[in-house]
Amino acid sequence: MAANGNTNYYDLYRHGSLGSTLTDALDDLIGAERIDPQLAMKVLMQFDRVITEALSEKVKARLTFKGSLDTYRFCDEVWTFLIKNVTFKMDGGQSVVTADKVKIVSCSAKRSDEK
Amino acid sequence: MSNAAVGTVYEHIINEVINAVRVDFEENGVDDSVLEELKKGWQHKLSQLNIAQFPWDPKPEAPPPAQATQNTSSAVNAQAAATQQPTANYTQSTLSPQTAAQSPSHPGGQPNGNGVAIKSEPGMANEPTIKQEPGTMQPMMHPAYPGNNAARGGMAAQRAAQAIANRYGSQAQASINAIHQQTQQPQIPGQAPPPPPTPQQQQQQQQFSPQQQYQQTVAAQMQQRIPQQPGQPGQPQPLSQQNGLGGAQVDGSSDGFDGVLMRRDADGNPVEMGRVEIDNLLHAQLLERAKQREGGGLMLPLKEATKQRSNATKSRRAAAAGGPNQLDGNDEDDDEFDEDAINSDLDDPEDERDDDDEEDEASGWIMLCLYDKVQRVKNKWKCTLKDGVLTVNGKEYVFHKANGEYEW
Repeated sequence: MAANGNTNYYDLYRHGSLGSTLTDALDDLIGAERIDPQLAMKVLMQFDRVITEALSEKVKARLTFKGSLDTYRFCDEVWTFLIKNVTFKMDGGQSVVTADKVKIVSCSAKRSDEK
Repeated sequence: MSNAAVGTVYEHIINEVINAVRVDFEENGVDDSVLEELKKGWQHKLSQLNIAQFPWDPKPEAPPPAQATQNTSSAVNAQAAATQQPTANYTQSTLSPQTAAQSPSHPGGQPNGNGVAIKSEPGMANEPTIKQEPGTMQPMMHPAYPGNNAARGGMAAQRAAQAIANRYGSQAQASINAIHQQTQQPQIPGQAPPPPPTPQQQQQQQQFSPQQQYQQTVAAQMQQRIPQQPGQPGQPQPLSQQNGLGGAQVDGSSDGFDGVLMRRDADGNPVEMGRVEIDNLLHAQLLERAKQREGGGLMLPLKEATKQRSNATKSRRAAAAGGPNQLDGNDEDDDEFDEDAINSDLDDPEDERDDDDEEDEASGWIMLCLYDKVQRVKNKWKCTLKDGVLTVNGKEYVFHKANGEYEW
């Protein structure tokens, strides 16, 4: 998951629900020829920046999780884990969420800090 | 880290992004409305995912009480006679049955409003009213008039009585008395409608004026029962007309008033549609839909169905005509073909693995984040993650920091 050319923000979050819905909405506008694709790319790059900043500044929540690691992969500075029977503990263990499996895609925090 | 935080954080992100790209939009000569459309579309798509409660979503709340009570009388009117109590109370509290019978210009003479109400009430509708404490009904019916004080209400009642006297002279004496009583005795309006008990009671109370004084304490409550009188003193008829009219219009299904909806026909002329026509139209559309689904979806050969999915509904409609004929032979073949493919050992593992990966992303059990540290000692892994978004079990969570421990 490479950082964008001009700005050093990952486009990782585009794969999340917020990013994918934005992409969908942009696609709709492009399909209707209301905007051109270059403008949509600019929107997405702004999104990369905003969500990265928002997650680091606005969010204070902590989380711990345990599970059994099914697959791991480290490629191009990106860790990908597939964890099975995973248990997430949030709010200091107050709420617990379990899932059969979860996929973690994680980029290096250092590189995004360098900017 | 809670699901509740997601809504506000996401809203913040959306607003930031929209504001950040506003300049770009302007530079590209794209109208601001398009940007707004993008925002709406984005929010709408997010809401559809149903991953969290978003601030822009309408919250599942009960409607504000004031509104609800204001609607009460009209809503009730639309229902069966049993629920017509409020209307009946209004009209008959201001005008006794006698007046209604005597004055042809009076709304009571309207067939749908008071006439129906009175007839249908004695058996079922009114019994509950008699038993019901006026005090309990008041807040429900007239919360909008809490400011009425005793003086105003009394004045209003007097003026109403005077107006009736002016108009109908001695004929209306009974109803004037009724008004006086009703101001002071809340039970009466409820009891008034049923023919046998009411007139007697009213006459009794006409004769016993001490009773009126004895019940003056109740008067304050009563003024709330006749709330519109203070506003339109001296006009009891229009007042009751309002009340009666609501009932007349809403439940008047048998009138000559047929049009419920206007629609434009092919030439653009407005056409009035009655209930039957609307029903027929809906029915026809439903049938059409059902046909479309039958021909254009499940019962088509697999190959054609997938082909058509990319096309617009136009082609789907076209297929609706020819679909049923084609479907016999091919469908089964396709199924068998699929089963054969699965049996192939060579295809199997790859296919499944691909499916798995896709499923992970498609079903959305995914965490996107940055890593600070990833450590491994033998088969034990520890990692420190930050600034992440986690989607799991259909809900979305955001976190600032996460620690994970897992064994391989």
